[in-house]
Amino acid sequence: MTDRSAAYDATPLDQAERYRSGVLKYAQMGYWDPDYEPRETDILALFRVTPQEGVDPIEAAAAVAGESSTATWTVVWTDRLTAADHYRAKAYRVEPVPTTPGEYFAWIAYALDLFEPGSIANLSASIIGNVFGFKPLKALRLEDMRFPAAYVKTFDGPPAGIVVERERLDKFGRPLLGATIKPKLGLSGRNYGRIVYEGLAGGLDFTKDDENINSQPFMHWRDRFLSCMEAVNRASAATGEVKGHYLNVTGATMEDIYERAEFAKELGSVVVMIDLVIGYSAIQSISKWARRNDVLLHLHRAGASTYTRQRSHGVSFRVIAKWMRLVGVDHIHAGTIVGKLEGDPNTVRGFYDILREPHNPVNLERGIYFEQDWAGLRKVMPVASGGIHAGQMHQLLTYLGDDVVLQFGGGTIGHPMGIRAGATANRVALEAMVLARNEGRDIWNEGPHILAEAARDCLPLQAALDTWGEITFDYTSTDSPDFVPTPTPT
Amino acid sequence: MKVTAPAPGLDPGTSPSPDSTATSEFDLGLARDESQVDELLATLDSDLIGLVPVKTRIREIAALLLVEKLRTQAGLSAGPPSLHMSFTGNPGTGKTTIAQRMAEILHRLGYVRKGHLVAVTRDDLVGQFIGHTAPKTKEVLKRAMGGVLFIDEAYYLYRPENERDYGQEAIEILLQVMENQRDDLVVILAGYKDRMDRFFASNPGMSSRVAHHIDFPDYTADELEAIALLMLEQMQYRLSPTARPVMVEYIERRRARPNFANARSIRNALDRARLRQANRLLARSDPRLTRDDLMTIEAEDLRASRVFESADGAAEGAT
Amino acid sequence: MRITQGTFSFLPDLSDEQIRAQVDYCLEQHWAVSIEYTDDPHPRNTYWEMYGDPMFDLRDAAGVMVEMETARQTFPDHYIKLNAFDSTKGVESLRLSFIVNRPRAEPGFRLIRQESAGRAVHYSIQATATDRLAGERET
Repeated sequence: MTDRSAAYDATPLDQAERYRSGVLKYAQMGYWDPDYEPRETDILALFRVTPQEGVDPIEAAAAVAGESSTATWTVVWTDRLTAADHYRAKAYRVEPVPTTPGEYFAWIAYALDLFEPGSIANLSASIIGNVFGFKPLKALRLEDMRFPAAYVKTFDGPPAGIVVERERLDKFGRPLLGATIKPKLGLSGRNYGRIVYEGLAGGLDFTKDDENINSQPFMHWRDRFLSCMEAVNRASAATGEVKGHYLNVTGATMEDIYERAEFAKELGSVVVMIDLVIGYSAIQSISKWARRNDVLLHLHRAGASTYTRQRSHGVSFRVIAKWMRLVGVDHIHAGTIVGKLEGDPNTVRGFYDILREPHNPVNLERGIYFEQDWAGLRKVMPVASGGIHAGQMHQLLTYLGDDVVLQFGGGTIGHPMGIRAGATANRVALEAMVLARNEGRDIWNEGPHILAEAARDCLPLQAALDTWGEITFDYTSTDSPDFVPTPTPT
Repeated sequence: MKVTAPAPGLDPGTSPSPDSTATSEFDLGLARDESQVDELLATLDSDLIGLVPVKTRIREIAALLLVEKLRTQAGLSAGPPSLHMSFTGNPGTGKTTIAQRMAEILHRLGYVRKGHLVAVTRDDLVGQFIGHTAPKTKEVLKRAMGGVLFIDEAYYLYRPENERDYGQEAIEILLQVMENQRDDLVVILAGYKDRMDRFFASNPGMSSRVAHHIDFPDYTADELEAIALLMLEQMQYRLSPTARPVMVEYIERRRARPNFANARSIRNALDRARLRQANRLLARSDPRLTRDDLMTIEAEDLRASRVFESADGAAEGAT
Repeated sequence: MRITQGTFSFLPDLSDEQIRAQVDYCLEQHWAVSIEYTDDPHPRNTYWEMYGDPMFDLRDAAGVMVEMETARQTFPDHYIKLNAFDSTKGVESLRLSFIVNRPRAEPGFRLIRQESAGRAVHYSIQATATDRLAGERET
């Protein structure tokens, strides 16, 4: 840990000095304490701080601690009416970011009493509500958080979770398959339902409303729900499988959301969907509703990349993932690695670990900075969606494992032989790859060969490979981890 | 059954005829190296004392199986080899240990898929009431498949004098599996030689399915001494110079007594010697001990055994 | 028709060799394998009949293959599936489940639509296999 006390005077003040009116350095007001030992019950946060020129990193860290807990820019005597020491967040460690001069990691501890139990709205208002606009900081990013078991236990978590979802669907041993209905906008209810039917009958487990399909002039939500449920049930009877369509219940008000969810339930849907933009309180409400009504809850992370994508500023998606596991969703979009949307392989695998594991050890290569014990909280099924196709099945299975929903929107609907064929191609590719992996074959290297073998018995798969076999999305990631393993000499 | 790759130069496309004996196409040396069976046989020699006739038989069986594999590659077949065995001998002569090693060897040679050992007695196979035996036996068999099933004192399965005994049912099921699923399971029956002989005489079906009978002779006095020293070394004890001849004498006397269980009896004797050593150390006036004190078994620790009492005063089972 | 329940239903029916490989994979993960059968393939029929208890502590697929074979011989015209159970904390459920036997003719399902208020429809699915009188079926 860097000792900056020689260059920068951060000595704590005695009481009289501390509370004399005026402006003090944050580090002297008690927000910087290098000797502080975080308690079991503290909530911890890791920030990536880029101070303005001339601002000392410790002072910047202390300011972040202050402005995300009790401070204001000047001393106030009213602090003395409280056990102020207890409520102050403490920055206890500051280190330069290895790869980027001017950036510093700052570890900050918050007493549990600062937070309302079981409220992500309160948590986010506390941690990110105030500090990000602070002028002395050029940029600020919330990288990671650690939640003690005491805090985790105040949340219900996912209404179903991965295990219950699989038991409800009666589907084990392989990733689930889905597709977003395309085109994004403009279809009528009847036409929309046709696509749902073709996709599900062809072999998908789920189809999906897109995030901006709510209730527009071209299709009212009730008509969409009616058409989709006809399609879902037809497909279920045609295949003998449990099928579902994520009915998007996002609405302008909470009352609208409840009304839509109730209709979905009345029609017998196994799943409903919401967008992140409805807000944390709404998400938590609908999560409780989903549990009460035995319906799966799918979350689209609409809008998240406005603040998660750049490494220098915003909130890392890993924090959002943690908040969403606490708040309680069953599905969340978490990245594909090989598809069209942003996703460094290590960072994305870190997100998946956070959603699926019962316990996360520190793993700097995957961007997991804190050890996190989930205290038995149920697991969230990550969703991989965006520009993936059957030809990448071996990579998807290797990177993402079995507990994931793979969504092939364009990859199903754009199939040259039709939607049903597109669905079948994806399902055959997936099952063949899982079969081969279980047999012990090296699917990473033999993947294309395995797909070609399976395609011999499945014309739709052959057509899919012919159409898209060569497509990849290779761009430099904007959010790769700071700590990448040094290659070991073989 | 896994077959090793053909030796370089051997074209897998040719169908060899029994007449083509002129050129050597089958590399026994290569098959032997690839199976790494020599390594296992060598550890048999180094880890286990004595058992010379047993080790010899095992080498012979390994050779047979290795050659069988090459013959299979050549398209020659004498039918699937019968691998079921019986191990006879007194207790403590290494039957279970050897069974474990045999499982590993069979696995290395590709005759057994997983190479684990499941050791059971009659009670694990036979039920207490009607209908209980078949599922019990089948469950044991399923657990053993892919490896070796070792049935200790197997003759207890056969109790003709008691008509309500269900052992016969277990025997029937075993016979079926031993005949029809030779690829899936190897069975080793073990016990005293005379009782085993009687068991086979009354059960010709069983006898005909067991190809290899291996007898485990009692250890010689020298071998027992070597075993005792090895055990002490493993337990990090040593005998004092005066204790060594006492150990030799102890072994001679104990062997002559009834219920001698070879290596197991040696083990028991050493445990009792340790007990006496501990009490001796505790009774000393000077409580400060050296590392040597902690490690050494003295002559008196052994002499205290009742084995050393006169023949008239010695009770049966004196140790 | 061909119901597509189970992990590998979209592939051609698995050969015994392929089934053995999957069972070996399950045993390597220390999952217990069980066999179940039914003549009622309704998607909500969770509890097929058990063909024996789940088999724990097996090291090799042979034991399972033998039981599967006798199940096929006993119930040749039923759906039979293999399940794998994982007892790890946080899972404690199935990890794999696939069909290993199908009836010669798969009768499929009928979709019943019950119109209710407005345009809403309440759906139910019936397995036509269960149309036979109760006495003609085992359960």
